[in-house]
Amino acid sequence: MTTLQDSPSAGGQSLPHLPVARRDSLWRRFRRASPFALIYSAAILIFYTIIFIIPFGTGIWLAFQNWDFITNPKFVGLRNFTKAFTDQYFWLALQKTVLFSVVEISLGLTVALLFALALSQIIGKWQNIYLSLYYLPVITPLVVSLYLWRWLYRPTGGAFNTLLSSLGLPEQPFLASPQQALWAITVVIIWAHLGTGIVLFLAGINDVPESLFEAARLDGAGFWQSFYKITLPLIRPVLVYQMVVSVIGTVQMFEAFFLIPGPGFSTRTLALYTYELGFRALNLGYGAAVSLIIFVILLGATVFQLRRWQIEWEH
Amino acid sequence: MATTADSPLRPAPISPFRRWLISGRWSRAVVFLILAFFSFAMFYPFIWLLFSSFKTGADIVSLPVTLLPKKWTLGAYLMVMDPTRANLPIAYVNSIIVTSGTVISVLITSSMGGFIFARLEFPGRDYLFYFVLSTTMVPFLTLLIPLYIVMRELNLLNSLWGVWVPSIFSSFGVFLCRQFVYGIPRELYDAAKIDGSGDFGIYRNIILPLTKPILSALAIFVFLGSFNAYLWPLVILNEEKKLTLPLIIARMANRFGGTDYQAVMAGSVLVSIPPLIVFFIFQKNFVRGIALTGLKG
Repeated sequence: MTTLQDSPSAGGQSLPHLPVARRDSLWRRFRRASPFALIYSAAILIFYTIIFIIPFGTGIWLAFQNWDFITNPKFVGLRNFTKAFTDQYFWLALQKTVLFSVVEISLGLTVALLFALALSQIIGKWQNIYLSLYYLPVITPLVVSLYLWRWLYRPTGGAFNTLLSSLGLPEQPFLASPQQALWAITVVIIWAHLGTGIVLFLAGINDVPESLFEAARLDGAGFWQSFYKITLPLIRPVLVYQMVVSVIGTVQMFEAFFLIPGPGFSTRTLALYTYELGFRALNLGYGAAVSLIIFVILLGATVFQLRRWQIEWEH
Repeated sequence: MATTADSPLRPAPISPFRRWLISGRWSRAVVFLILAFFSFAMFYPFIWLLFSSFKTGADIVSLPVTLLPKKWTLGAYLMVMDPTRANLPIAYVNSIIVTSGTVISVLITSSMGGFIFARLEFPGRDYLFYFVLSTTMVPFLTLLIPLYIVMRELNLLNSLWGVWVPSIFSSFGVFLCRQFVYGIPRELYDAAKIDGSGDFGIYRNIILPLTKPILSALAIFVFLGSFNAYLWPLVILNEEKKLTLPLIIARMANRFGGTDYQAVMAGSVLVSIPPLIVFFIFQKNFVRGIALTGLKG
């Protein structure tokens, strides 16, 4: 990559006796560039203008309006944002989002790491066979998984309650209860995403040079000691990457709360709230404001995590 | 560590079982068994899905529930495959159209972009690339409502075009391919250039074949993402005949007060088949691809 220092001087050095060449150099560089590159650039620019710049701009504009798709948009200033801060449903949705996100990520990544550690002890064909089994829920369309689990969760006649009562344990309402619904969904999502975490962690663990474990073993380190002292520090980039990506994924999780919701507002997260404001209540301005708040939260969370774990980004 | 136990210095009166215990190999066996148990637990829901899809409508809700069908039947499959009674066949066609369109366009635009941003010179190249990359910082949820408005203005609502258009380019794909093209020796490009190839020719004849490994990994993820997508198709599509497979499953699951279990089960099995086929065909690329791309979450 060119640094700030050498990029202007490089052009100057190649043309030392042409002091006026600077002015039309941009045009010349365009002329010299291949049409293939220019056509592609134009296409990608048009695409992102339509798909990104205009919608993002519209979203920001919309957040300061009141609009219901029918009447003319009305400018309301910051009222949509101030409304969010006094809106108890917004806070409730934020609370559900944070709860779901924190539990899903901490539990999901821990379990995935344990699985990856166990799998790393198994070498050869069986590692791949297990890996494929754990990866199946990731491949299955989430919609399928959700309805399957809703069916297994049924309070009467569901597979889980049948299992519980056959073990002599009390039956649970699962999705039908406001207290349990969020956690029932969290379990489904952990189950559905576990494979990704396992594969990534396993790749990280397999990348650790065997000689390090060998040396630790000679020094008398046990399994857990070498895990804390060798594996964990070396797979930290994988861990941080997964945390960042999982936060973005869980905060935006929509299908689960839309398709197999718990009673009332017990599982209404910000993602679902945005959708309902935009497409059910037709309160587009407020919906846009809430979705911008989600953007700010995610941006903050990402920056915070990267700072906290001090990862150098290089590519 | 196993070798020392296998070849002790002096033969001791020790049973094979005790030797095995001392050798520490049992810990592997325990790990193996634990993993076997958990993989069964993870697979358990799918077993229910598969067996229930062969049950009759009465059997599936009868109490107490049994895993195995009392009477095996293909009735649910025949029902959902019948175009006069369910829109699953149409949804299959719709999903295949959208998914293949997305995969093809993303592969083309990503490999082109990777080559162009890595090797070709033109003013503003790096600014453009970082702009493309920065779009990933804005979550899709933030763009959902305004993007819907844009699509409405473009008259793309309730059409498969509207589902496809936002995924023609993939900034992640472009980024991935650019990384990959950096790994291809520059000399190849220079040599072809000296031989008089145009840039598009170089892309077509040199870069495209060489980027195949990364493209096959990318293809799998784009396929899964597009085939399993729910939110955007939900927002765009309305008419029953236009729906994609995940939307149809959701409609089937909620009709008749959400009691049409056997149709949902059979439909779910049928919907899961294409991703499974893709997975098992590309299994090798898959695991490598995930490690390579670190994608999905």
